[in-house]
Amino acid sequence: MAIRELKVCLLGDTGVGKSSIVCRFVQDHFDHNISPTIGASFLTKTVPCGNELHKFLIWDTAGQERFHSLAPMYYRGSAAAVIVYDITKLDSFQTLKKWVKELKEHGPEDIVVAIAGNKNDLGDIREVPMKEAKEFAESIAAIFIETSARNAVNIEELFQKISKQIPPLENPEVESNESFKLTRQPAPSARRCC
Amino acid sequence: MAAEDLPSEFDVVILGTGLAESVVAAACSRVGQRVLHLDRRSYYASNWASFTFNGLLTWIQQLQEESQPKEVPDWSSQLEEGEELIYLSSSDSSASICNLQVFCYTSEEDEEEQAPDTTEEETVRAADEDAVQEVSEAESAETREEEERRGADKGQAAQTAGEEPEAESHPHAAPSQSEPAKKKLSYAQLVKEGRRFNIDLVSKLMYSRGSLVDLLIKSNVSRYAEFKNVTRILTYRHGNVEQVPCSRADVFASRQLSVVEKRKLMRFLTSCVEETEEQTAYNGRPYLDFLCDQQLGENLQHFVLHSIAMVTADTPTEEGLASTRQFLRCLGRYGNTPFLFPVYGLGEIPQCFCRMCAVFGGIYCLRHSVHCLLVDKHTNRCKAVIDSRGQRISCSHFVAEASYVGAERKKVATPTRFLSRAVLITDSSVLASDSEQQVSVVTVPPIAAGCPAVKMVELCPSTMTCIPGTYLVHLTCQSIGSAYQDLSPLVTRMFRTVESHDKAETRPAVLWCLYFNMADGSGTEVEGHDLPSNVYVCSGPDGSLGHEHTIKQAEFIFHKILPDEEFCPPAPNPEDIIYDGETTAATGDTQEEEQSPQKQEEEETKEEEETKEEEETKEETKEEEHLQTEE
Repeated sequence: MAIRELKVCLLGDTGVGKSSIVCRFVQDHFDHNISPTIGASFLTKTVPCGNELHKFLIWDTAGQERFHSLAPMYYRGSAAAVIVYDITKLDSFQTLKKWVKELKEHGPEDIVVAIAGNKNDLGDIREVPMKEAKEFAESIAAIFIETSARNAVNIEELFQKISKQIPPLENPEVESNESFKLTRQPAPSARRCC
Repeated sequence: MAAEDLPSEFDVVILGTGLAESVVAAACSRVGQRVLHLDRRSYYASNWASFTFNGLLTWIQQLQEESQPKEVPDWSSQLEEGEELIYLSSSDSSASICNLQVFCYTSEEDEEEQAPDTTEEETVRAADEDAVQEVSEAESAETREEEERRGADKGQAAQTAGEEPEAESHPHAAPSQSEPAKKKLSYAQLVKEGRRFNIDLVSKLMYSRGSLVDLLIKSNVSRYAEFKNVTRILTYRHGNVEQVPCSRADVFASRQLSVVEKRKLMRFLTSCVEETEEQTAYNGRPYLDFLCDQQLGENLQHFVLHSIAMVTADTPTEEGLASTRQFLRCLGRYGNTPFLFPVYGLGEIPQCFCRMCAVFGGIYCLRHSVHCLLVDKHTNRCKAVIDSRGQRISCSHFVAEASYVGAERKKVATPTRFLSRAVLITDSSVLASDSEQQVSVVTVPPIAAGCPAVKMVELCPSTMTCIPGTYLVHLTCQSIGSAYQDLSPLVTRMFRTVESHDKAETRPAVLWCLYFNMADGSGTEVEGHDLPSNVYVCSGPDGSLGHEHTIKQAEFIFHKILPDEEFCPPAPNPEDIIYDGETTAATGDTQEEEQSPQKQEEEETKEEEETKEEEETKEETKEEEHLQTEE
């Protein structure tokens, strides 16, 4: 089965649980104390989708959103973005629009957008009605789901939904775009004889 | 949320997000230092930044507006016993950028397509005459210089022909059949598609074995970016753009070189790799002398001097040979030329290092600066800084980009030198070929005595720096006059603008261009300024093609701050990060992203490093076969 690497970037205010969602998805683990943001360039998890394997490379903001200083390179080449808000904090929902705008400005044009209302285990102190969030998501053609990283609710589902929305791979021979990563191994040189 | 205060204690405070500062930030954070990284601008990478088309227009506008020196509040109330204040420079980058001039050669709005009218007497060129090709364009250009000056009024320029035939300036190409004329992109379209441009302020390339590539790989910062090979090296002479054969494959496939020349060139390049007594005898004498005595002939001499060594006629032989060797050493690692270019532009690289810093706990804040340093009078060390909100932030070391330091405190050995830059958006390549996706470097020797040698980089849309149907061309040289004075004569000769001769249809048309001068960072010293001993100054971009100066400087500063620490050890692979399962009792909603630096993964990294080293040795034995002569 072909493995496809898909970059997913996380957006949303500080403290809404972005890292917790990744940690739950990748490690099936939830921890208040250890911050996976430290030292992790991105986390990976591979899930099957149809006759492909989707290897998610999930990029966290690394705290750069805290003082509104996310770098444009953060969005480069993302197949999908997950914008997270906290259902118990109205503020974090109100800033969604700002993140959507930011994504439109810096993100790739064909990016799949998902909106995740996290901490739905804390329904008793909910400030954001699900209906309202869902309507907003529909208005921008985004995936919508409420999650709980703490109780492992809808985390797998979130990424499954993203997987399904990723358009199937076009002709793999898009020759004009043969960019590569620098690794310790010499890259297979695309030397052509003229 | 905007009012959130910064923490008040750091190990290292860094001001400016240019390449050197960003590398220092990543290196310090990586080994556990608490780093605060600020920039007074609203974008990353300072003078190394890349902009969308619209972002660039905003940048130009901001620089053209008279910037009033901002009033800096008096922070002396923050002084503690035994401290004194040093104010930093409050003006913006205006000191390092000047002489901005913008020209638009395309219509404001979309226009109707006109019927193609192709009379191409210039396209048929002698393919077998190798050396001297008389091209009327080049000659007549001389006499046109004066007209250009007068014709070039700033701003919207009138348009010549509304159509253009497909550029067919390749010397060996068959005379072009009149192809359907492309519709010229309008200014409105450039603006509309503006976000797909990534226009760098600096034009450099990465030597595939240079210190930047080595550092990216060593630190694993490379995983944040992707790269493309520079696909060809071109040179401009006798009014023509020619491809320079540089790899072994190129040399033997070249149709410009005779069999004898091919042998000679291969023999010469092979002999360059090792230092010989014959070479050292030329030390101190011009490289050109050395080349002349190698009996290479005019053709090869030009290629080696200008396009391989990329030096000038009076460069000393030892320097010329060193450049030649560096070029040869970098061939074949990734591709056919020694150079790489980052997809989305060079402005990505400082951002990648900033991300590495953030990933290890560094705190980032744009639109935020430092007003002054608090200095201990006795030790002459900077104890703390006062930020632009008046907050006192203590630190053990302070690093700032040169433009933040007032001129009165800088040690100035020589007057600041400047670089002349031009950025063009064109409609076709300077040398058409089978593939439209070529990334080319063009070396241009001085077009007349007293003129500078120009380095030109032409980027195609697949580098994600310009939109389909356009090319982004960067010109750089040491400035003699203003950027416009230095570079516009060459632009008029090589491209088609409103000032160009009417026989210029075969050349790429310039849709839009920008000229500016930028301070040359190569003269700035890290130390020796009238500043506390734990304050280090980073220079802005220099005029060389590679990044050696900047990376060396960053490493030097890092070792000044942390003499015993390793510079940018590899960050762990995502798969190798182990989370320990000791979960404390869940106590509510404190899933904060705030963190303090931890060194938990350091041990894993060490193991990893060892295996990497093994791999590296393997790699080295695999290469170096690209330069052997045939038979």
